[in-house]
Order: sequence, then structure tokens, then C-alpha cells
Amino acid sequence: MAAADSKATRMYRALLRLLPFDFRSDYGPEMEAVFHEQRKEAGRRNGTAGILRVWWETIVGIFRTAPGEHLAMFRQDAGFALRMMRKSPGFTLAAILTLGLGIGANSAIFSVVNAVLLKPLPYEHGDRLVVLQHRMGALNQAFSALDTSDYRTQSRALDGLVEYHNMNFILLGRSEPERVETGVVSWNYFEVFGIKPLFGRAFRPEDEQPGAPAVLMLSYEYWIKSFGGDPTVVNKTFTMNDKIHTVIGVLPPVPQYPNENDVYMPTTACPFRSSPSTVANRQARMVQVFGRMKPGMSVSQAQADLSGVAANLQKAYPKDYPEGNSYSVKTTALEEALTHNARPTMLVLLAAAGFVLLIACANVANLNLSRMVRRERELAVRAALGAGRMRMFRQLLTESFLLAVIGGGLGLLFSWGALDLLVSFASRFTPRAREIHMDAWVLGFTFLVAVLTSVLSGTVPALAARETVVGTLKEGGAQSTIGRGKHRMRSLLIVGQVAVSFLLLIGAGLMLRSFVKLQHVDPGFQPENVLTMDIALDFVKYNTNDKQRAFFETLLDKVQMQGGVKSAAASMMIPFTSGMTMTGDFQIEGQAPEPGQAMPKADFRIVSPSYFEALHIPILNGRGFMQTDRPGNPDVAVLNRSAALHLWGGKDPVGTRFSADGGKAWIQVVGVVGDIKQYGLDKDVVDEIYVPLAQNPMSQASLVIKTAVEPMSIARGVIELLHGVDPNQPAARVRSLEQVRAESVAAPRLTTNLLGLFALLALAIAATGIGGVMALAVGQRRHEIGVRMAIGARPAEILRMILGQGLALALIGVALGLFGALWLTRLLQQLLFEVTPTDPLTYVGVAVVLGLAALVACYVPARRASRVDPIIALRVE
Amino acid sequence: MTAAQNNVEPFGPLTPAMFHVLLALAGDDLHGYAILKEVELRTGGKVRLSTGTLYGIIKRLLNDGLIAELRSRPVESQDDERRRYYRLTPQGRQVATAEAERMDEILSIARSRNLLKKTRMA
Repeated sequence: MAAADSKATRMYRALLRLLPFDFRSDYGPEMEAVFHEQRKEAGRRNGTAGILRVWWETIVGIFRTAPGEHLAMFRQDAGFALRMMRKSPGFTLAAILTLGLGIGANSAIFSVVNAVLLKPLPYEHGDRLVVLQHRMGALNQAFSALDTSDYRTQSRALDGLVEYHNMNFILLGRSEPERVETGVVSWNYFEVFGIKPLFGRAFRPEDEQPGAPAVLMLSYEYWIKSFGGDPTVVNKTFTMNDKIHTVIGVLPPVPQYPNENDVYMPTTACPFRSSPSTVANRQARMVQVFGRMKPGMSVSQAQADLSGVAANLQKAYPKDYPEGNSYSVKTTALEEALTHNARPTMLVLLAAAGFVLLIACANVANLNLSRMVRRERELAVRAALGAGRMRMFRQLLTESFLLAVIGGGLGLLFSWGALDLLVSFASRFTPRAREIHMDAWVLGFTFLVAVLTSVLSGTVPALAARETVVGTLKEGGAQSTIGRGKHRMRSLLIVGQVAVSFLLLIGAGLMLRSFVKLQHVDPGFQPENVLTMDIALDFVKYNTNDKQRAFFETLLDKVQMQGGVKSAAASMMIPFTSGMTMTGDFQIEGQAPEPGQAMPKADFRIVSPSYFEALHIPILNGRGFMQTDRPGNPDVAVLNRSAALHLWGGKDPVGTRFSADGGKAWIQVVGVVGDIKQYGLDKDVVDEIYVPLAQNPMSQASLVIKTAVEPMSIARGVIELLHGVDPNQPAARVRSLEQVRAESVAAPRLTTNLLGLFALLALAIAATGIGGVMALAVGQRRHEIGVRMAIGARPAEILRMILGQGLALALIGVALGLFGALWLTRLLQQLLFEVTPTDPLTYVGVAVVLGLAALVACYVPARRASRVDPIIALRVE
Repeated sequence: MTAAQNNVEPFGPLTPAMFHVLLALAGDDLHGYAILKEVELRTGGKVRLSTGTLYGIIKRLLNDGLIAELRSRPVESQDDERRRYYRLTPQGRQVATAEAERMDEILSIARSRNLLKKTRMA
């Protein structure tokens, strides 16, 4: 019986644990006694059934009572906390601001990570979509129409395979002719992706039949931008190039990969893609291919299947997939392709934001601890009045919870305000940037972070409070000495803050060094005062080499005469971009390739004669192009230095000949020019062969105009000249080359800025932290300092002592941060350019900066300490 | 009546269980278990309070000043020392009275609509 009693008591006590601590300590023993009697009587009267009934009623009663009691407790605590916050507005403001910045940084970066890396692709079949890449050795190559249809019929892992390429059309009938970026796709492209049109219909098989009426679908962004979101645009017709096109549908807002297009058309709309020679030529490789895996297939299964198809093709058509080129096909999940550029940067930023929050938490914990010293008496009195330890713990946690929640709200405001900036930042890395929103996930995450923050910043002082209440009342004097333990705790927090700040500063410092290096890379040409613009000719109107050549020559002649123009050139592509690339094999005369051996390869560029002059690319050997390098005269080419060195083996190439068509036509090398950073400052120089525009006309080119004046100031004039040559010909992407250069390094610049911002924030928080702690320490040690001075210490010694103590904390922090940095900055490797993660200069520089910041922060309290008047300090006793 | 009502307002509506506890204490000063028994007895077993519910109510009534804890125990020697005794305060009595009167008014309306037999009136 006694055993049953004690078991029941234990169970009842366990049940009581559901109630708040206070309630339990007020009424627990009494309730236990009542329950005991209740149970005994029920047993006496109704036996086991009676006892069970009492248990049931008791359990229900406690479950009903507990939530209300907890809420009441929270209300009471929160009310008290708010009063305390109002009482010390300085502390409250500092804490809320610090936490707001810390939490804001996290919710901002999380909103990006969530949209870009965590959410599934917003296509119905997003997880089953793959990108196929043709590889010849290390080079990516497009697919031909025949490749595409072979992969489609032979693959067993895919249940859909579609092609894509991008081209420019000219839309007429608006105020100015407009260049329209066009995605040219298989009819079932959107069906395979699982994208349903917002309005109208998607393509059907009959739209892709030769001779079918021309149709187009608008991208959501173009529809909004050019038609103001007017749904009646469906069924309207537009003249694009020579044909009337009917709008059949509008796409929803989805990420577009690999290009952001204005409109989409079926493959038959592209005269090149649908010309019989392209369709029949296995080497006419111009399209990209996407596949949809059958349900349940993994990417590696699909890869194995498609590698099998590649092997079959290589066996069947050895001429088209030469052995020496190590031909293969690579399968990548579309999700990976869309986000892999963003991943390393976003994760680094998320980590940085996390560190900032850690520092903010440590800082608020420290502020709390300092305030605790002032509240010692209050806490001690409350303890004496019977507030339990748990009760005070809870009270202090409630205070930090309120601070964190208000800080979290502020943080949300910050990140909401930064949303547009974030979207434009993320769009440098991924087409998914427009999916970034402040949604329920971000709100939930922020709340979670706030709760975590309150625990982190509230527990330490709450634990310290336990120690406080024991001693304070006993001492009773006006001056209370803080416990050694608490001082140690505060010093520890400071050391931690400095260590994490060091880590962040190193990260930002490395990025900055890397960015400076990037900025100082010699591009091999002068980008200053160069105006560029893209011109894509109407390929229907300018359908012969003669017409294309005539157009560009006429235009360049006119531009050359324009005031402020030093030299006007045209080029297939401008530096710092990676638009159209023509990589081709060739053979050098007298060096017949061995069978099975890879042929020399280079990137071919078509340029007009003034190109080298306009960009100040030095001619190292021989000559550049001349007006006489025209059809009828021998075909000529100019090599860049790398090509001469690598492909001609360093022998003087001028005067030699090569052939890119198996020996039918021979092209003479007439000169060698300097290397330029064509694909970006951080990219390697490639082997290049320049050929003259007049001998190799093209329908798309960029103007490259060296000016004597600010380049954008003559842009309008150049466009007018263009319209003078052909009023229906638009120019696109009118930019100075310096703008192009700035855009090409925008991603590392913005990443550096963000990381730098986080690091500065961390530095500011940590420095004020050190200063605050030293100020408090000085305040509390006035008496001791007074004694020291009374027995002969000079002010300078006191100053040195306090500075030394603050600096010691900073140095321990730096030492710890050093280990952390050596370990963690490896993760930055991918983002760095020509800087190692252990770059000594950065480490030394950051240590000095941090040390100076600590010195400055400690100087004010140290000086105050050195001015302590011993008489006054001792009299206070 | 109006004075009583003015006093009642800050405490909000009494739940039936709270009213029962006040009624139980209207007769005598009681300890927790005795309150439970009294309520059960008076209601013929219809209202059974559990310990959680009872002490939730006691806490509120104490906070609102409607009951008070007794400092002295009636029969000290034979008592479980964990027991505490409670007494209705004058304010508690007012509130209980006000509640009873409010119910009485409702009952008379019910009677006038012939929803209740008058004979039950004592």
C-alpha cells in the first residue's frame, strides 16, 4: 500500500511539472496532500474504478489549467520586462538595434538561400529536368538536329527531350524598331518543363511544321514590360523580320535558362535551324538540349543511359565524333545548372550573417551582464522576497525574448527594405533571383532565429544572476563588487566576439584583396572611352554576304566621320563577354595531322580593320587588317600571342597558312597581336585567330568605337547614323566598355561589399563591446585604482594598465580567430582570385585593424581611469 | 446593489466552478480538500473539482482578494501541516452575493416565463 502511495505521489508530481514553477512551489505540496486524500476516499468508496476516475479528472484538470497559468506568468513577466526596458532606454535601444541588425542580416540572406537553393524549381517537373552537354574534350559543344533526334529516339531514361537556341528578331510597328531576344524551341518545350501558359495556349505539333503560320509566346517579363500586362495581347499580330507573327500565349513568371528571352518561337521560325543543310548535317551543332527523366530515374541512371547513346553514335558516325576529341555527353540536373553559380557565394554569406548574429548575441549578453550589475540589488531583493531561482531565470529569459522579438521585427524591416537590392544581387548568379520574396518561410525562419537569439543572449546573464543573488544583500554597501566569475564570463564573451570578428574581417579582407587584384588585371587593351552597342541584322533582309558586308562598311564609314570618334570598328563580340563563340579545328600547312590525333583548335573572331586600333591592342608582329583584305584578295588572319606560341610552336607564324575546311581554302597569317582577356578579368587567355569582317561577313556584330569624348555622349548620334543606314535596324545594349567591365566584375564586387558590410558591423559591435566592458571594469575598480594611485602609481601607468588589459582580451580573441580563419577560409577558395585563403598580408592587416579598434575602444575608459582622483575614490568607501 | 456591482466588475464573470468555491467558503473557513468535498456534497456529486482546477481557482481568487489564507490553523495538533485554510473576504462575500443576485434575477425571469416551478422557492 505504501509502495502504491509513493508511486502515485511520484506520478502526481510528474504531472505537476506541467504547471509553471511558481504555481508548483506555491501550491504543489498542498495539492499533493489533497490529491492523496481524494484518491484514498475514492478507493474506499468505489475501489479501483473510483481511483481511475480521480486520476482521469486530475489529468484533465491539470492539462486544462496549465496553458492559462503559463500564459498568465508570461504576461506578468512580459509586463515587468517592458517596464524594465522603459527604465533603461539606452540599453534597450542598443540591444534592439544590435539584434535587429544581426537578425536582419540573417533573414535577408535566408530569403535568398530559401528561394534559390532550398525551394524546388517552380516547374511542374522541376526535379526530373536535366541539361545535356556535349563535350569534345574539355569543350562544350552544341547539339545538331540529328544529334538531338538520335538522343530522343535512343534514350531509355528520358521521356521527353527538347532543344533550345537563342537568336534575335526585329520587332517592327512600335515607335522604334525593337530587338527581341528570342528562344527558339521544340514545340513541346514548355510541356516537358511543365509550364502552363498564363493566357492563351502553348505550342502544338502543327506549329512546328514547315510552312506553318508563324506564332510566338511572350515571356512574362516582356509581357509586363512591353504590353503592360494586357491579356488581350493574345491573338494580336506583329511583324518580326519579314513575317507576321501571331501571339498565341503568355508564359507565367518562371526562371528562364540559359537566357532571359522576350519571346519564344518554334524551331521552324529560325531559317538557319530549319534550312535543309542544317537539318541534314550532323556537324551543324547549334542547339542546347534539355531532357525530362522518367519518374523515379536518378541523374546518374540517366547519365549512364545517355553515355550509352553517345557510344553508339560514336561507333555509327566516326567522322562526326572523331576519336581524338574524347567525345562524351554530360547530364546535369537543371536545378544544379540553375543554381551552382550562386551556391558558394550564398552559403558563405549565410555563414557570415550567422557569425554577425553570434556577435550580436554575445554583445547583448554582455550588455545584459553589465546591466545585471546595476540590477543586482533589485534581483537580490526579489530573491529575498521569495522569488525562486527558476522564477528569476524565467523573468530574465522573458526579457531577452522580448528584446529578440522586437529586434527580429526590426530585422524583418531591414531585410524587407533590402529586398530589391538582394534580388538584383542574386540575379548576377542565378535566373531564380526573381523568386526571392518575404514569404512564410522567411518569417518562420526569422522567428526561429529570434527565439534562438533570446536563448543565446539571455541564458548567460540568467545563469550569472543565480550567483548574484547569493552575495549582494550580505555586502550591503553602496558599492558592489562584481563576482569574479561574472567578470570572467564577460571577458570570455569579448574574446569570442573578437575571434568571430577576426574571422569575418579575414573573409572580407580576402575578398577585398582578391577584388583589388581583379581590378588590376591588365586586360591587354584600353577599355577607356569606348562605346559599344550590339547590332543584329534582319537576317531576312540581309541574307547575303554582300549585303551584310555593305551594311557594316557603310555604317562604320559614317560613324568614323562623326565628331568625337577616333576609330570605329565592328567585332563579333566585345571583351568581357562570352556571347557568340566560334571554336574551330584547323590544320597548319605542312603539318598534316596524324590520324586519331586532335587538330589544333582556336576561338575565331571576326573583326573589322580598326578593331585593334580602337582597343589599343598592340600589333606584335606583321600587320593588322587592311581595307584591301577583301573577297578577291587572299584570305588572311591575325593570331593572338597565345595562339602563335601554343599552336605555331613559337615559330614565326607570319606568312604561314592554315585551313579550317580540310584544305579546300587556305588562310594566310599576316600578323600577331597581343593577348586580351576576352571572357573576363578572372578568366584565362585563350588561343584566338582573328579574321577580317570583309572576308567573313556576319549578321550580328557589336560596334566598338574609340572616342575622344565621354563615350555615352555620342551614343544617340551613332544610333541616328544607324537609322540613317536602315531605319528598321535597332541597336541593343548600348554601353561603354567600362560599364561592360564593371558589370563583368559586379558579382565579386557585390559579394565583397556584402561581406565587408557584415565584417564592419561585426567590428563595430565587437569594438563597442570591448569599450563597454572596460568602461564598466574601470567604474567598478575606481576604489582599487584610487589605492594604486595613492601609493604612487602614475596616471600614465594606470592608462597603460587598462589599455593593456583591453588589448590582452583582443589579442586572445585574435589568436582564437586565427585558428578559426585558417580552418574556415578554405570555404572561400572558390570565390577568390589569385589570393590564397592564408594570404599573410590580409591576416596581418586585419590583426592590426582589429588591434587598433580595440585600442581606440579602450582608450576612453583608460583615460578616465588615469584621471581618477584617489581622494575622491577612497572617500566613497 | 450598485455598489456591489461596481466592486464585481474588475473580476470579470465568475465561472460556475469559481462560484461554487465561493459558496463553499461562504459557510465556513475550509482547507482545499474540504472545499472539494463541500462542493461535491452541495451539488449532489454533479460538480467534481480536480486538484488542478481547484488550485487554479484558489490562486485567482487569492490574487483578486476574494479569499484569503488563514494564518492560524483551527486544530493544529491533528492536522496535515501541508493543509492551508481559506476564508471568504468581505469583498469576496460581496462578489458572491452579487453573483447570487444576478442569478436570482435570471431565475425570476425564468419563472415569469413559466420555465420553473414557483414551489421550489423556499
